[in-house]
Amino acid sequence: MVDLSSSFETECEIIDRDHRRLVEMVNAIVAAIDGDHATECATRVPKFVKFAKQHFVREEAFLADIGYPETQKHHDHHRALDGKMATILGLAAKAADNQLAREALKKDLVFFLMDDVINADLDFKPFIKVRKT
Amino acid sequence: MKGLHIHGVSHAYGNNKVLNNVSLTIPTGELVCLLGPSGCGKSTLLRLAAGLETLQCGTIVIDDQTVATKESSLAPEHRHIGLMFQDYALFPHLDIVANVCFGLIGMARDKARARALEMLDQVGMADYAKVYPHTLSGGQQQRIALARALAPEPKLLLLDEPFSGLDTNMRQMIREDTLNVLKQNGVATLMVTHDPEEAMFMADRIKILGRHGRVRQSGSPHDIYYKPNDEFVAGLFGLMNRLGGVVRDGAVETPLGRVGAGGIADGTAVQVLIRPEGIVLSGGNTGSNPGIPVSVSSTHLLGHSSIVSVSPDGNSGDEYFARVHREFSPELEDTIFASIEASDTFVFPLKEDTASAAPIGMAAE
Ligand SMILES: Nc1ncnc2c1ncn2[C@@H]1O[C@H](COP(=O)(O)OP(=O)(O)OP(=O)(O)O)[C@@H](O)[C@H]1O
Ligand SMILES: [Fe+2]
Ligand SMILES: [Fe+2]
Ligand SMILES: [Mg+2]
Repeated sequence: MVDLSSSFETECEIIDRDHRRLVEMVNAIVAAIDGDHATECATRVPKFVKFAKQHFVREEAFLADIGYPETQKHHDHHRALDGKMATILGLAAKAADNQLAREALKKDLVFFLMDDVINADLDFKPFIKVRKT
Repeated sequence: MKGLHIHGVSHAYGNNKVLNNVSLTIPTGELVCLLGPSGCGKSTLLRLAAGLETLQCGTIVIDDQTVATKESSLAPEHRHIGLMFQDYALFPHLDIVANVCFGLIGMARDKARARALEMLDQVGMADYAKVYPHTLSGGQQQRIALARALAPEPKLLLLDEPFSGLDTNMRQMIREDTLNVLKQNGVATLMVTHDPEEAMFMADRIKILGRHGRVRQSGSPHDIYYKPNDEFVAGLFGLMNRLGGVVRDGAVETPLGRVGAGGIADGTAVQVLIRPEGIVLSGGNTGSNPGIPVSVSSTHLLGHSSIVSVSPDGNSGDEYFARVHREFSPELEDTIFASIEASDTFVFPLKEDTASAAPIGMAAE
């Protein structure tokens, strides 16, 4: 189980709310796998990926709105995650009847979410903070 | 989140910038390998996490507790970290069980001893409790060092090239055993290595650090090997054939055949990298499209495989390296054909700074 402990918060409520939802979705997928309901991956994981992509769009719009100088770079970072999302979808399709795919899916999801998505967003936290004050 | 959370760490020794905005996340129970060339700042990052170096920029959090920022720092002994380095640093005048007990300060003697023996059992060294370090081999000493690092149930384990002093066979064995012990203990582990194979073997996730301590890519071993972001990452895994070309109709024409350009725009000058295992040699009587006829100039048997140098017929100036994983006797074949395996072939836009041709096998950054 992962959680959005304070060190991972951007302290921008509209972003953190999306992140919390992403965390919930990943935890639900991990719980489904651990609870022998891996068949649910076939629907849950595509929903997660879809929500992540929508979140990227919302976040980029927000960063552009507030004039974050590295919006383009962050956009490029999101785009560079396409390959990983494709891998995750591929693993989810196999998860129901393949133990190795289930294990790889859990790992890839957690690292994707906590390292590639949420940790990377802390790059813009100082900018939001300065703007708030 | 339980585990290690590093964000935005940069570090310089005087004017020498060694880490550049490094972030990483390791959930409990997972192992992340930092992989990169000598001097890219791997040990520095480990020392910062351990509190042996003062943090200049960024945040380090262990099990939801912020242990270091620019302003504040928790002393190393309060971070609950296990350390293991290349030189095992066992105390020569203490027997093995006393060495393992050493980190269990504050624990009742009987309990500490029981815990130490439990750890020695886990690393397969229970029979050696009473002996002194100098009577043990390097591999055995490393097992003891692992037991000692894990005995106090650290929140985070930091390993800096722990196996680099060991010979090949011992290394492989102790890697496997270490991995088993780590998984059994469910601790977050950050391990430094400059051996790509070791990183592939051990890691749940690999972070590639490039020159000046910049993260070049992070991903699963599979991602890093089959979907390298750039020629630097691709080049980490040993010998590479490097060919130049220009994209036309979505592909690059090379002396060894056509290679898909993977979405790079027509007209772009590119570098094509092919692993030796991506050049497949055959005797010609296999299938309808055996590839390009080549002549063999040399073969080197490496053990599990051979490296074979080939040149396309009529073009002996171009030489490529192929890896063959079975017995291969070119002297017994009439004609040999080479073809390219897409999964071991990578196409990257040619960047200004890599335009000067790097010698084959050398990773240009
Ligand atoms: N205490 C120090 N004072 C000054 N410079 C240092 C210090 N420690 C390391 N350096 C320099 O910082 C750079 C990074 O060193 P570091 O030991 O982190 O690299 P590394 O990636 O672990 O290399 P290796 O693979 O060779 O162990 C090197 O150029 C090194 O010379
Ligand atoms: Fe985000
Ligand atoms: Fe983001
Ligand atoms: Mg080092």
